[in-house]
Amino acid sequence: MIFPSTLVFFLIGASILLILVVVIRPSITASREGKIVAFLALFVVPLVAAGVGASEHMERSEQTRFCLSCHIMQPYGRTLYVDDPSYIPAAHFQNHRVPADQACYTCHTDYAMFGTIQAKLNGLHHVYVYWFGTPTQPIRLYHPYNNRECLHCHDGARSFEDSPTHTAMMGDLKSNKLSCTTGGCHDTFHPVDKLSQAKFWKRTE
Amino acid sequence: MLRKLRIAGILLIFGLVIEALSLGWNTAISFMSFAVFSGLFFASGISLFLYSLVSSEISPNNN
Repeated sequence: MIFPSTLVFFLIGASILLILVVVIRPSITASREGKIVAFLALFVVPLVAAGVGASEHMERSEQTRFCLSCHIMQPYGRTLYVDDPSYIPAAHFQNHRVPADQACYTCHTDYAMFGTIQAKLNGLHHVYVYWFGTPTQPIRLYHPYNNRECLHCHDGARSFEDSPTHTAMMGDLKSNKLSCTTGGCHDTFHPVDKLSQAKFWKRTE
Repeated sequence: MLRKLRIAGILLIFGLVIEALSLGWNTAISFMSFAVFSGLFFASGISLFLYSLVSSEISPNNN
């Protein structure tokens, strides 16, 4: 199987070779065919290569590894391995309720129209604050966590719908009047300040 | 015009090489280096190529 990244590298290599033809022999542009080659090499192919590269980078930016590549995020990544089911992210990650390789993105994207674009813009803002500003400690969300993100998966799920606690407040949960993360409900997320006392799950290979 | 084509080509090759290098890692730094440096080289290379087309059209030497 050919991976998408292999195709990107192939495209980049082919683009470089085509551009080199024009760079080494720019006089080919004297002919009509040469002009077409130059147009392809110096305009069409680089645009395609840049677009494919950008798409590949966007795809990769959804991976857990990408999010945890910033030092400030590493303690948050460690909370995914806490051996305590009351830690909501840990329980989701360890039980594959979210794809393990997209754990951050799955819960922290915005399941609304243009949500993916909003998530990418937020990501660029994270990078800006990380390099040029002063990130808050602990990190805070831009907005209170919206139930929509939980209900994207849990809405309609038997374990969620059949729970008497959920049934009693279903309207408020679905209209986001009452947060799933209300104290006493699902309120343990990434308590990075308690990591030193936490017990960690070790995956058996 | 030929010199401009050469420079445009070299700028685009730099952009492509940075793109290839940035795809070797999956980190925020590699993403930013692609977005900033590759983007800059691509934009300047393509702009220079397009400018070379326009400037060659209006050059009195071509008449």
